[in-house]
Amino acid sequence: MNRTAWKIDEEKLRQWVQGLVDGGDSVVAPVEEDGLTLFRPIAAAEHAHLEPSGKTRWSPKEFLFPRSEALYRYTLKGDSVEIRDPDVPETRQVLFGVRCCDAAGLVRLDEIFLSGTKDPLYAARREATTVVTSACAAADAECFCTAVGGSPVATEGSDVQLVPLADGWMVRALTDKGEDLVGEAPATWSEASADDIGRIEAIETTVTDQIARSPIQKEWSRVLEDGFENASWDHLAQHCLGCSICAYVCPSCSCFDMNHEANAWCGEQCRSWDACTFGLFTHHASGHNPRETRQQRYRQRVLHKFSFTEGEDQHFRCVGCGRCVALCPAGLDISEIVTAAVTAIQEEGADGAR
Amino acid sequence: MELAEISPNPYHPSLMRIKGFTDETADVRTLRLEFADEAEAGAFAGWQPGQFGQFTVFGAGESVFAIANKPWHSNGDGPPTVECTFRAIGKVTTALRAMSEGQTIGFRGPYGNHFPLDDWKGKGLVFIGGGIGMAALRSAMLAAIERKKEFGDIVILNGARSVADMVYKEEMPAWQETDGVSVVRTVDPGGETSEWDGKIGLLPNVFEELGLDPENRIVIACGPPVMLHYLFLSLGKTGYQPDQVVTTLENKMKCGIGHCGRCYVGPFSVCRDGPVVTWAELNELPKDY
Repeated sequence: MNRTAWKIDEEKLRQWVQGLVDGGDSVVAPVEEDGLTLFRPIAAAEHAHLEPSGKTRWSPKEFLFPRSEALYRYTLKGDSVEIRDPDVPETRQVLFGVRCCDAAGLVRLDEIFLSGTKDPLYAARREATTVVTSACAAADAECFCTAVGGSPVATEGSDVQLVPLADGWMVRALTDKGEDLVGEAPATWSEASADDIGRIEAIETTVTDQIARSPIQKEWSRVLEDGFENASWDHLAQHCLGCSICAYVCPSCSCFDMNHEANAWCGEQCRSWDACTFGLFTHHASGHNPRETRQQRYRQRVLHKFSFTEGEDQHFRCVGCGRCVALCPAGLDISEIVTAAVTAIQEEGADGAR
Repeated sequence: MELAEISPNPYHPSLMRIKGFTDETADVRTLRLEFADEAEAGAFAGWQPGQFGQFTVFGAGESVFAIANKPWHSNGDGPPTVECTFRAIGKVTTALRAMSEGQTIGFRGPYGNHFPLDDWKGKGLVFIGGGIGMAALRSAMLAAIERKKEFGDIVILNGARSVADMVYKEEMPAWQETDGVSVVRTVDPGGETSEWDGKIGLLPNVFEELGLDPENRIVIACGPPVMLHYLFLSLGKTGYQPDQVVTTLENKMKCGIGHCGRCYVGPFSVCRDGPVVTWAELNELPKDY
């Protein structure tokens, strides 16, 4: 990648962001709210919470795939129906200060929503969005990006990347969208030195060392698939409460429900986040349910993340952000469960101990 | 800017009028639908047997049904009619059952893969439908009857819990009017009436009694999971190979385009990669259906 890297101080960084806001972009950045760090559209660059580490409570996926949205709206007129499609954004959206794991999560969403029949609402938002990632200088306790093929300085899904330096930030544009976003700002920026660029590798080494979890191996994908019937699933996921917080905070979970919200005159086809860990997710009208138990549902979650992968490149669908680990009320740690399941399957055989 | 200005919305249904219906049982109805908009009717490309649609009752929601009539061709068939057979069992289907002729519903589709009729030329066909499972077979069955000279004998096995639960009662005699097509009706033991002149017995047992030689035959079966479980045992026992047996997966679906994640069986998205699968393909998938 022969694109330029610059080094700037925090003031220049905020000036650049302010310029984007003033220019009419919808800038979404981490802000402090009610004791949490959350992604919110900001009105001024000073509101952005710039930290070299620590993640937001939720990933920024809702700015591409909202928690709830109308797929169309309609009005009933006698025996006829008038349908109106939703609006799509006309201004650029900048997702600023996104962790590299979350940016990878957006690419996992692309693999779902932009494959086959494209989702036009997602596609329009994606097209209008530029992603500025912020490399992590330190890992949180729950982080495990490096165990699933990611990195604290990964560039997947990044248009521009910020790398924290001791006395400011390195900025590198990684795509054409990224070049557009930095625009004329570098006129007052200085180029990054070789030492600054070397910081990328140093960060990667430091953070990788901080992440204590052992890597989840690519070839486990097949082991897990073959071990679908293994009895260990019954006890590994025994404590799952089925609350589905794991899916809601997950940067790559993309399952959704569709329901009509309506009164006697008008309504909408409403799409909202859903989760495979809910009991009604696969419940047929007949009463039949292929996944009747929480254990079966948790197994589906694990396998869809680590085994039944989408696309040619066969990425895991878990990016290792660790939010589900930090927030699970039953203390389930998906990385530990994958490892335990693989160990059980390898020791007992595919359908062992049943 | 409205989405329609830049891109078609796959979730935007076509409006269809209820042109007529047949009540198959106390709670199963077959609807005949026509496009409300002539331009949409003109642009409709038809469907292949085995594909399904999403049907909308505005205010209640969407439900997935197989498109149940024989494939429509745009060359002189007149405007397309779409038929579906459904049981009033949930919110949407109960609301749909309450609608009358002339009222408007939504339709989007067709979705999914289809029965490979062209691959079955020269072979005998056995259609086995349990209860409302017949609805998923009807399009393929009617197409096969129409194209009978391309196939060997066609046997249609229609099974139901009771006489009152049997679908397509009125039209079954017409299916047999084509030479080489036979219909066998059966009801579960205890489901018969004093006038019943069909067979009494569970579908897998009745299938075995028919003694249909597996040589050069394809079995197309659709029904509740418990019926398919025992039918596959019977098929194995009578010498049918997994690649001679075709069924449909009937998982809960919402989006119809492989995005919502609801219908996965392992890596297989039923709405996108199915619903038609061979028994051989099914054996490769986790038992998650």
